[in-house]
Amino acid sequence: MDIEGLDPSLLQDFLTESGELIEKLDADLVTLESLDEGSEQKDLLDGIFRALHTIKGAASFLGLTVLTTFAHAAEDALNRLRKGEIKVTPEVMDAMLRSVDVLRVMMEQIAAGEDITPAPEDLINQLHALVGGDPAEGAASPDQAPSVTPQASPTVVGGTPLDLPPEKIDLVEFMVIDLQEAIGQIDQCLAQARTAVDTSDAAHDLAELGDSIFKTSEFFKLDALSLMAKLLMSVGAKLDQVPEAQLGELFVRVGAIKVLVERQADALNQKMALSWPVETLQQRIETLIGGQELPDDVTGQHGDDPLKVLELDGVIEPGSESSGEAEAQADASQAQKDTAPGQQTPADAARDATKKSKGDAPTARASLGEQTIRVEVSRLESLMNLVGRLVLNKNRILSLARRITEYDISHEAKEQFTIASSALDQLTSELQMGVMRTRMQPLAKLFDRYPRVIRDIARATGKKIDLEITGKETEVDKSVLEVLADPLVHILRNSADHGIELPQTRIGTSKKETGTIHLTAEHQGSHVRVEIADDGKGLDRDVLGKKAIERGMVTPDQLAALGDEEVFRFIFAAGFSTAEKVSDLSGRGVGMDVVRTNIAKINGAINISAVKGKGTTIEILIPLTVAIMPAMMVGVGQHLYAIPLTTIIEIVRPEDRMVHSVGGQPVMRLRNSVLPLLDMREKLQETGEKPRSKFAVIVGVGQQRAGLVVERLIGQQEIVIKPLDDRYTSGGPFSGATIREDGDVSLILDVIQLIRQAQQTERAAA
Amino acid sequence: MTTATAENQATAEPVSTKETGGTASHQVDGELLQLVTFMVGSEEFAIPILSVQEINRMMQITRVPQSPPFIEGVINLRGKIIPVMDLRKRFNVEVAEDSSDCRIIVVEVANRVIGFTVDRVNEVLRIDAGIVEPPPSMVSGIDSDYVQGVGKLDDRLLILLNLNRLFSNEDLESVDQASSAASV
Repeated sequence: MDIEGLDPSLLQDFLTESGELIEKLDADLVTLESLDEGSEQKDLLDGIFRALHTIKGAASFLGLTVLTTFAHAAEDALNRLRKGEIKVTPEVMDAMLRSVDVLRVMMEQIAAGEDITPAPEDLINQLHALVGGDPAEGAASPDQAPSVTPQASPTVVGGTPLDLPPEKIDLVEFMVIDLQEAIGQIDQCLAQARTAVDTSDAAHDLAELGDSIFKTSEFFKLDALSLMAKLLMSVGAKLDQVPEAQLGELFVRVGAIKVLVERQADALNQKMALSWPVETLQQRIETLIGGQELPDDVTGQHGDDPLKVLELDGVIEPGSESSGEAEAQADASQAQKDTAPGQQTPADAARDATKKSKGDAPTARASLGEQTIRVEVSRLESLMNLVGRLVLNKNRILSLARRITEYDISHEAKEQFTIASSALDQLTSELQMGVMRTRMQPLAKLFDRYPRVIRDIARATGKKIDLEITGKETEVDKSVLEVLADPLVHILRNSADHGIELPQTRIGTSKKETGTIHLTAEHQGSHVRVEIADDGKGLDRDVLGKKAIERGMVTPDQLAALGDEEVFRFIFAAGFSTAEKVSDLSGRGVGMDVVRTNIAKINGAINISAVKGKGTTIEILIPLTVAIMPAMMVGVGQHLYAIPLTTIIEIVRPEDRMVHSVGGQPVMRLRNSVLPLLDMREKLQETGEKPRSKFAVIVGVGQQRAGLVVERLIGQQEIVIKPLDDRYTSGGPFSGATIREDGDVSLILDVIQLIRQAQQTERAAA
Repeated sequence: MTTATAENQATAEPVSTKETGGTASHQVDGELLQLVTFMVGSEEFAIPILSVQEINRMMQITRVPQSPPFIEGVINLRGKIIPVMDLRKRFNVEVAEDSSDCRIIVVEVANRVIGFTVDRVNEVLRIDAGIVEPPPSMVSGIDSDYVQGVGKLDDRLLILLNLNRLFSNEDLESVDQASSAASV
């Protein structure tokens, strides 16, 4: 099979699913290292093994031989870990983590349509060394278990050999795995349906199972099995209409179907197709679904034994098999499962994954396919765009509603219009929230990568570092998540590489040998607050200040006047690094600059505090979403501008006695602080007569404040942010544009940029 | 020749065409060029019809402070914000008062959507590529860089614009200097 002949959507599914599994592998492997030997470690190892096996299985299904071979090697090594034949040591984990990296690169290559680079020789050798060539070999390829353990599956009688082209024969193995999984699930569904008050979940699952069995059986042209699968589908579809009295008879027949599926699965291992006279069974199930009773001589004759049912319904010859034998068979297949848990199938592993990540809710079982669907991001984006336009139009209607009193229409009509428009307002807001929520993703998507990052730094530097993560379930908009990815890595690297000291230093300063980095996320109003706090050596005002003077960023006099936080902020300047030597990890002075720009891009703010010798805390505040935000509309000259409400601290009317000039730069005294004032008239190149009324909109980002002098306050509004990214128009202090109620365009002031400019002038003036 | 202009409010209509051939509208149809012609000052310009997205009546243009002087501002093109260039300023043609004939032609050039204002849109016409001559070094004050060629019709001259160059990077560098000088 070559990759080009493949259905692209199959490949895409593989990439998405395996990509997720790989992310999880990474996190799990790091967790594994921190666990003590015991059942917890064993469980995690099993999970890791399943995930890897799933990737391998899917890859070989797609004919990705290079990937499959490598995954196999890694799996072998992992298998020995699982069996306790080798121990979890940092060296072993290095090899395993590297393997995950290699797999990730391979996936990227597949995604990019490139040829897959084979895994590095030394890594393969390392893995082989772990496997060690002793008896473990035999058990090393559990995926072959179904075909090499004939003792587990009784010889099939009465089947016909599969008549299939070779490329389909290759896939039989996977189908068997699928079927075996389905068998387990049928049991679960039955158990659920028998006990649960609400059977709708079980019914749904049954229908899905039927559907998946149907697809596979059609693929191999297994007519009898197709028929069974269809029956399962109809049972699922109509389960809620079946009278309770008929349920017992129905369930035992579903059990009978399960036996048939089981037998076909075993037969498939020997490349045999089975067929049965299933007409009676089919008919009886249909009767039951239809809510009818079965004839008396049929009901209650089977003692809830599926085999008896099969005999009763004429599927198998009476007496041809005893129940005992069936039990033995069940035991055998159970045993087979136990010896080779690697046979867990994609869905199984994925389900395990979701289960764990969802905190193991009991309902997680009914999971995945039913509760989530994958949607292309572009569809959500276009939906988001439409909602954006809807919000604009709603705003227009609202403004009409406000002005409607001016028109000469009946009072009643006005009232009706007002009611209708406020209902529209509310609905639109809800719709907007709903659509926005579809784009929300938990921060865990990022946070789960970091244990690995920290672990690698700790290994490379010989430090001992704990990363404690809280609040990773906090959700933010997808675009925010993307922007946040790099900054967080940079900050964490900085904390681990520069913040946390070496163990011997820490002991010397009576700290715990192991340093701790706390990564915390929580909602705070319309913002998300992310905090990275380490108990390392903190920031040294003197060192930073010296460096800043060297680089000509401040004069010694200016430095003396700066607050601690302002000095700490120097670390965000491009090229600013106090590290004596540049390492692989950090020290080039680039990282923190990225942090600042990325956070600024999404209207976020960074605060930084540190105590020398005790640690550093960096706090990031980011808006939940970036597409729609509340803003204050202000008038300057002939034009209206929007100021993001989240940046506004207060609005004051500056009286003359509050305004002073420091070296030509106007400043305002507000209570106990002095703020630089920016005349927006000047900044926005407005001409014409100066009005007498003025407002100072006090804006702040982080700890920095400035006053923007505007002429009119229009009011607060939800605005939809549109990019202003054409290079002809991207030069000014604007973060975007928005469309007003009347359809005209207003520019959104880039407060971060304005504050920075104000401070530069202030510094220059001082 | 008849004048074909798009008369509309919010949405643009295709410019109605008056043509002789009646074949499908390709920019180069054998030896034919299909062009939209318009007036800026007293000159008649032409651009390939395929680069034209739509032609709109004048609408509210929002000034963008600290942008190049020949940028009039931005408009709301059905929810998308696009810059609008004043060709009269760009070509140093005396800026006339906006009349009801003024139009905004929206073009797509190198994946950018840009509008520019013209005094009047004339027509859509097809000309034989053979009658287009390379530009003289100076066409009534317009840098010949922006001119693809000159089309000689029976009764008049058409200046074929090179949109790529008109909206190119190089011009922006000089623009940047101009605007930063302006904003200081």
